[in-house]
Amino acid sequence: MTPRDFLQQLQDSSLGVALSESIYMYPLVEGLHLISLVFSFGLILLTDLRLIGFFLPNAPVSEILSKLRPWLISGFVVTFVTGFLLVFVNGPTLVNTWVFPIKLLLILLAGLNAVWFEVKFGRRIAQWDTQLQYPKGAKIAGWISLTTWSLVVVCGRLIPYLNAH
Amino acid sequence: MSTQPFFQALQNSELAISIGQSNHLYGVLAQLFHIAGLVLILAPVLLVNLRLLGAGLTNQSIAQLVKATNPLIWTGFVFILFSGLFMFAPSAALYYPNPAFWLKFQMLALALIVQFTLYRKVTATEKPNRALAILTAILSLTLWFGVGIAGRAIGYVAA
Repeated sequence: MTPRDFLQQLQDSSLGVALSESIYMYPLVEGLHLISLVFSFGLILLTDLRLIGFFLPNAPVSEILSKLRPWLISGFVVTFVTGFLLVFVNGPTLVNTWVFPIKLLLILLAGLNAVWFEVKFGRRIAQWDTQLQYPKGAKIAGWISLTTWSLVVVCGRLIPYLNAH
Repeated sequence: MSTQPFFQALQNSELAISIGQSNHLYGVLAQLFHIAGLVLILAPVLLVNLRLLGAGLTNQSIAQLVKATNPLIWTGFVFILFSGLFMFAPSAALYYPNPAFWLKFQMLALALIVQFTLYRKVTATEKPNRALAILTAILSLTLWFGVGIAGRAIGYVAA
């Protein structure tokens, strides 16, 4: 089954049809996608800026991570669910644009970076987050996260513009 | 001069016409700056309001969070204002009959009033009245997120 067939199946499913036929559902889902973005991308942006050293440099990284995590994860859950619903509605036209597969690839990269950070630094964070010089890798992970998630948002915003052709 | 002729005059102005005739790439770029500005403004607003609700970065003082997030908000403000004007000017008369457009700016006006009265007052005190802090946070978040949703709706509401 090609990606196009798969997306066609999603669009033809009862959920896909229901979403497309409702006047309010699509804008509502898109609105929720945008608002949850402030929780997911917005809070991860602040976390990345802390890792890089631009934001609240005197606050322990572990504190920022642990206190924002529940909000950030909740945000990501809503962003992903609403994003998935938007895929149902848009269907196979999404593969007409190169920007959608790139967005998915960037999400994968950002996710892998987060897992790598968690495994490599997350568990020992209490040891290093009060030191002035914390592991270089942690800072790099912050930059990668900042770059990849920003590009994810850019790609997402570009979809409607590149989709028309 | 009432609003509609003003919108029309703006759309017919030389600057607006030259923006409208510019490469569409600039229009897309404006959209990107607009969403970047939205995140740069709303992420700090969310962080401070969570703190007012007693959640998020509770070990930091309210004043510290406000101070640390101010540069982000101002950067976002510059992004969102100029990209917004860039998108608005060439189609001003088209936005005039759009109810979502008006809803957005009514909510923006309310959000700014809350921002410069209640929010400013509550975030200036280290231990604000709990009920007042919660009320401020709920009002502020509802209005700011409302501005975002109404903005997103502009494209869906037939003019």
